[in-house]
Amino acid sequence: MNIRCAKPEDLMTMQHCNLLCLPENYQMKYYFYHGLTWPQLSYVAEDDKGGIVGYVLAKMEEPEPNEESRHGHITSLAVKRSYRRLGLAQKLMNQASQAMVECFNAQYVSLHVRKSNRAALNLYTNSLKFKIIEVEPKYYADGGGRLCHASRPQRICGGR
Amino acid sequence: MPSSDPLPPKEGALFRKLLKCYELKQYKNGLKLAKQILSNPKYMEHGETLAMKGLTLNGLGRREEAYKYVRLGLRNDLRSHVCWHVYGLLQRSDKKYDEAIKCYRNALKWEKDNLQILKDLSLLQIQMRDLEGYKETRHHLFTLRPSQHASWIGFAMSYHLLRDYEMANNILETFSQSQTSIEAHDYRHSELLLYQNQILIESSRLEQALDHLIKYNAQIVDKLAVRETMGDLYIKLRQHELAVPIFESLIRRNPENVLYYEQYLSARQVSESSAVVAVYREFQEKYPRALCPRRLPLNVASGSEFRTVADEYLRRGLRKGIPPLFVNVRTLHQESEKATVIEKLTLDYFENLTRSGHFSREDADAGAAVEPASALVWTALFLAQHYDYMRDTDRALDYINVAIDHTPTLIELLITKGRIFKHAGDAVEAYVWLEEAQSMDTADRYINSKCAKYMLRANLVQEAEEICAKFTREGVSAMDNLNEMQCMWFQTECALAYQRMGRWGESLKKCHEVERHFAEIVEDQFDFHTYCMRKMTLRAYVGLLRLEDVLRQHPFYFKASKCAIEVYLHLYDKPLKSEAAIEEIGIENLPPSELKKLRSKQRKAKKKAELESAQAAQAQVKREQHQKSKQQASQETDPDAPQLDELVAEKLERTDEPLERAIDFLKPLQQLAKERIETHLLAFEVYYRKNKPLLMLQSIQRARAVNSAHPEVHSCIIRFMKSLSSALKQQRFNEHVQQVLDKATKELIGSKTLQQLNDEFIAKHNASILHLYEGARSLFELDPSKKDTAIKLVTNFNPNKLRLEEAIKVYTALRDGDVFGECEEEAAAYQQACQQRFQYARIFRNIEELEAQLQEKEAAKLRAEEEQLQLNHVDSSEAISVSATAVTAS
Repeated sequence: MNIRCAKPEDLMTMQHCNLLCLPENYQMKYYFYHGLTWPQLSYVAEDDKGGIVGYVLAKMEEPEPNEESRHGHITSLAVKRSYRRLGLAQKLMNQASQAMVECFNAQYVSLHVRKSNRAALNLYTNSLKFKIIEVEPKYYADGGGRLCHASRPQRICGGR
Repeated sequence: MPSSDPLPPKEGALFRKLLKCYELKQYKNGLKLAKQILSNPKYMEHGETLAMKGLTLNGLGRREEAYKYVRLGLRNDLRSHVCWHVYGLLQRSDKKYDEAIKCYRNALKWEKDNLQILKDLSLLQIQMRDLEGYKETRHHLFTLRPSQHASWIGFAMSYHLLRDYEMANNILETFSQSQTSIEAHDYRHSELLLYQNQILIESSRLEQALDHLIKYNAQIVDKLAVRETMGDLYIKLRQHELAVPIFESLIRRNPENVLYYEQYLSARQVSESSAVVAVYREFQEKYPRALCPRRLPLNVASGSEFRTVADEYLRRGLRKGIPPLFVNVRTLHQESEKATVIEKLTLDYFENLTRSGHFSREDADAGAAVEPASALVWTALFLAQHYDYMRDTDRALDYINVAIDHTPTLIELLITKGRIFKHAGDAVEAYVWLEEAQSMDTADRYINSKCAKYMLRANLVQEAEEICAKFTREGVSAMDNLNEMQCMWFQTECALAYQRMGRWGESLKKCHEVERHFAEIVEDQFDFHTYCMRKMTLRAYVGLLRLEDVLRQHPFYFKASKCAIEVYLHLYDKPLKSEAAIEEIGIENLPPSELKKLRSKQRKAKKKAELESAQAAQAQVKREQHQKSKQQASQETDPDAPQLDELVAEKLERTDEPLERAIDFLKPLQQLAKERIETHLLAFEVYYRKNKPLLMLQSIQRARAVNSAHPEVHSCIIRFMKSLSSALKQQRFNEHVQQVLDKATKELIGSKTLQQLNDEFIAKHNASILHLYEGARSLFELDPSKKDTAIKLVTNFNPNKLRLEEAIKVYTALRDGDVFGECEEEAAAYQQACQQRFQYARIFRNIEELEAQLQEKEAAKLRAEEEQLQLNHVDSSEAISVSATAVTAS
């Protein structure tokens, strides 16, 4: 297993991984937009043969009206089912958030998660100490799901 | 900018308004303004106004009229830069970039310093990779606007892309010295510094790069890039001791990066395997949660040390129950010695866990605590995966069944069981297990996707689409949604399934859809040419340009293209008959029962086709409505929206030029997938059919350059030589061509005859079935009377030495009769022999048996349902009796 910052040539494989694992999908251009605006923020996990088995696609948000500084946002995070229980999601998140702080002075990180996605909720609230900020009913395209807007205060990660 | 045909003040003001409206996308207002000018009889032929009217119409999606007016305007005023610029913009929106470049150049003839035209031109030049032209334009822009940052950056970049690193660096250096006030945390400035550093490194000026990095360290916010680059430079400049602390800190930051460990080791100049393992052990202590320091020693250790580290690694994984344990060590299986150790260790675990609940007898004797009960399941799963990898299907199934008996609810086990069947050649049984697994966790798209993939492998396209629909957007068909989302794995697997089923048009449609995704992804870069200059993310931008240059190198493209080329070759060899002709073929020869079956099949197919076309029509109506509502909403269509012809399966499979279409797919492979021998073998097949000796020769030579020992190269040479001699009988080649061919012939076969060459080939490679197959094929090709000998050559090969894919290749060749001519009996005999050897492979089993099996399964399912019903009945009656008892008791 190898975790490293994503390069432009990884973006297509990230899209592939996303289509395999998650219901929220995006066209390639959206991946390019991330990779070319915030090249430091997205990370991939690859197997011994260089195949991508997990990724985090991340960006920066402009400050909210009542805020002074910017915060990071996780657009998408996935780990193939066959590579679970290695803690990859958490490791990917840690790298991305550290880069947000370092390169863009992020004050905190936000993300959306389906209320029904219990595994993800557990990861964010328990392992990564995110706090639920907001619950938006019927956020997702299929209407059934709900949005939890979770975020956490600035984390000081090693090296800074 | 003076016009060549100026308007008087009133009309001139209207024209400026018209330009403004176009910029603001107020196309309807724009049209009104154009009409106002043109309604004046004096100016009804005013070129620039007519051209702008055309461009405005294009904004409204009225493409044909747009071209009419723009061309008319241009004809009326050929000396107007506006007209040329407008024509360029129109071509650009139509993606005719080469044409657009010509227009811009004409525009610049009349207005050489027009900034907007120069900028537009530079975008097209970089998009089309006219790097020399780009450099000239960027230079021109630079001289016009030396005070703008973007002028400097673009100028430097144009040199960088031409690999003139020195000039690129000089420009950036001069620019950065002119920068005086730099903010504390300036991301863009930081990116620019790192970009300059990249240029220095690419020009191999490593010391200068290091100095540069040290000098500007404080101004760079991307600390990770600084440390990674600095560490790498220290190693390359042999200042190892300075690199050590850098990689130590990088590992602390990210202990899962393989490269950091490798560089740390080379910084410490440790290479002897035990010493390397010792270093990893230190990191295990330091970062107990990290995976890398535990896994990486397995790559370097050998002998008894490997046994020790593998033992530790495996026990830990099995104790914790890590599903990907096997895939994490799979690459080690390439070394047979390591595979043996792993097998031995896990077999021992399995035996001891079964007996005492410990991994080893020593543990048991020492009275250690027993392992968790799940360890046995994980060990059985591991062994199943191990034997599956070794293609020992029986043992793999034994172990997976043990695991499933133990924990029937563990989805990973069912997936593995499905995979074992897939590898053993039973795609149907495989998908059944995946479907089962899928039904146990319907909220997980990964297992859903895998299930769909297995269905496609079993040629169940519709079922696969239905499964996928559980996760695609509602209101759109799953196929459409997956296409919109560029879901290439699905489309490629569909194409392959249709190819297997002989539904050529459908297969081609999917291949073309994938091709269109790639075209779109190339198109995607357009907006980033200006965007990245603004954001200053230049390293990533150069990365994007380099990626797009070789985009079609991607395995997705290769797979889809290969499929398309194969289908087109098939359509060339066996063109489709007209539909009426198909119906009447052989009907008179059919027995009544078969005829009935056929008729009912035809009726069903017709019904299905009708239904599908009705659905398609509905979808079309919906699309149009959608389009209309969109138009109404925004009063316009997107002028940049690609206008592509709809892909129609029936049209695709009835193309008049299958080989030309194959070449469309082949060209990018020849350019970008040179290192894959299949590219050149496919190219040979195409040019063989086109009777192009020089191109056949080129394909053979390129294939030989990749792997001259590849079996197929041999039969290509034979067929090439044979076609050459028959071509010579008809006409002489031109002198130069003949010289090339003579030289090549000498090189390929020397003074031997083709028969000799083939005999020697067969004798030399009698231990390899794939070589024998090509030899036998050539034997028959050269002398059809040797058909029996040729067939025996492949069928007499020891079946125990066959791999499944090889057996399938030989069998399908015999069955389809297009390699050795008709040979039904031999095919049937070979099928039986293979069935003995590969008992799970569906392709070798006869149809009656499979149908009987299927019926038995259906019956079993029915029985189970009935039993369940009865059971429910019993349950409810029991419930009644219980309550009755309760009543009595109270």
